[in-house]
Amino acid sequence: MDSQLTQYIPILILLLVAIGAAAGMLIASVALGRWANRGRLQNRAKNQNINTPYECGMIAVGEGNTRLSVKFYLVAMLFILFDIEVVFMYPWAVVYRDMLKTNGPVILGSMVSFLGILFIGYIYALKKKAFDWKS
Amino acid sequence: MNLMILELAVVVLGLGILLGDLWTAAHQKHLLGYAAAALLGVILLASFFGLEQVGSGPAYAFNNMLVLDGLAVFFKRFFLIAAILVLLMSVEFSNRIQSGISEFYCLILFALTGMMFAASANDFIMVFVALELISVTFYVLNSFQRNRLASLEAGIKYLILSALSAAFLVFGIALVFGTTTFTNFADIQRALVANPALAGNGLFLLGVLMIIVGLGFKIAAFPFQIWAPDVYQGSPTPSTAFLAVGSKAAGIVLLLRVLFVAVPAVTQHWSKLLIIISAITILYGNLCAIPQRNLKRLLGYSSISNAGYLLLGFAALSQAGKAAILYYLAGYLFTVVAAFTVICLVTRDRDSDDITVLAGLHRRSPLLAMALTMAMVSLAGIPPLAGFFGKFLLLKAVVEQGATNSAYYWLVGITVFGVVISLYYYFGVIRAIYWSKDVTDFSPITVSWPAKLSLVVCMAAILYLGLLPGKPLKLSEDSALALTTPVSGSKQLFH
Repeated sequence: MDSQLTQYIPILILLLVAIGAAAGMLIASVALGRWANRGRLQNRAKNQNINTPYECGMIAVGEGNTRLSVKFYLVAMLFILFDIEVVFMYPWAVVYRDMLKTNGPVILGSMVSFLGILFIGYIYALKKKAFDWKS
Repeated sequence: MNLMILELAVVVLGLGILLGDLWTAAHQKHLLGYAAAALLGVILLASFFGLEQVGSGPAYAFNNMLVLDGLAVFFKRFFLIAAILVLLMSVEFSNRIQSGISEFYCLILFALTGMMFAASANDFIMVFVALELISVTFYVLNSFQRNRLASLEAGIKYLILSALSAAFLVFGIALVFGTTTFTNFADIQRALVANPALAGNGLFLLGVLMIIVGLGFKIAAFPFQIWAPDVYQGSPTPSTAFLAVGSKAAGIVLLLRVLFVAVPAVTQHWSKLLIIISAITILYGNLCAIPQRNLKRLLGYSSISNAGYLLLGFAALSQAGKAAILYYLAGYLFTVVAAFTVICLVTRDRDSDDITVLAGLHRRSPLLAMALTMAMVSLAGIPPLAGFFGKFLLLKAVVEQGATNSAYYWLVGITVFGVVISLYYYFGVIRAIYWSKDVTDFSPITVSWPAKLSLVVCMAAILYLGLLPGKPLKLSEDSALALTTPVSGSKQLFH
């Protein structure tokens, strides 16, 4: 095999282990469930509650996932945007001192313009009432 | 830095419009569109004074990622003109967009930035970034009429297929990078010269093929054309026009650079592939356009067939072919924008884009009727308009190559056949204007003066490119020169 490809063998093994683990859990849960309920399976028609999450207690009502206000998504998107902004600032801060000697105006200018664009976006979001939760 | 001064100006303008929107009353928002168009005009004029260094050969920046040569300047001006005309069109369209018309203008400006970067791209990373900037803005532009199902459908279709094609493109870039260890066009060209065996490397060729797939999607060439009619029909008319002109031209300029600057050694052997793609695209576009009754869908198929005509210039593999592509694109810009502007104005008070809305147009508004007639005649390739001369140049370039491979004569035959088919459906549109029966609506259409101006400019340009081809042909030949000279050492302006 190509030496370039051989270095991916660990990844292939990991892939097989991941598939095996997922499939194993599914198969094991089905097999174990059958084994644990082997005596009661004949009465399944009578005993619907066997398959509910809680065999005794309150009967679950409604959907598992509730609907959220669209505002949450808006805030989540804006959060990601400004989160990325900060993420970009870390590597920039690391190389800042070295780059300052050779390309001073460039390294400052590129970050200032980047922050400037996001700041304009922030003003836009603010004025468009993206953070206004009353309405 | 001064290599991308035009792009920076456009970005600043876009951000300015975005901020200006916040302090503009709703009934004055159309002024923002006019302001954006006017300021783009200023940027266009400035490009004639600020880019003098182009005369002294190509200039490079950012580790050769950006190049400013004749080709880049030609396309930058091309995109600026397209954006100005589309902005004027979108002001006419503003009554059909429920909210956020200023954002519509901004997105056009941001898409324009991506196109202008594409014109300068000299590195596969730059290609990808520029194309994504174009695609992502078009996802929004295509689905801008949120309350119209067709518009949302167009946006979703474009999103899914564009993402798929971007995946192909990135995979192709990865394979090319993996086999050559370069992403820069000039470096790849040098690597191909230094190591001719590379041009036979399967992985490398697969990479180049995947890149062509990604770009072929942008220009809607067969077999990557399937999205075009649906998206053209559903999108808001100005978005469709910008998609048909700007996005397609961006794909063309990138294809030119990739095929003739990055991998010329491969392109030499792929003339058959280009001939086949070109022939099928022409046939597919023209044959499918025949039964269409929806104007925008008709122009969608027409846009596919035009991609086929443009590919003729690639298939010719000659300098004349490249110059013909540029000439044809210039004519195509004004023709298509004129057609879409008329459609935008005619359908202003109606909900349908059906061909019957044109009935009696010559009495409702003679200017619109004349503009649409000229656009259709030019698209059909009738002398003396721009479309004729462009097609003539493309076919001439192909015939000149006929001596090397008889397949070129077949290609000419298929093209002529396609053009003859196209006469039928283009003249169907003209017939709908002048010879419709049972016309009841003769209410005159009022056209605002900026829209009139843009139509007159388009008509003048169509006539000029058809009647006086000398100067523009010289310009496109000079611009295409950027694709001949083997890339020498870099003239570093900015590191």
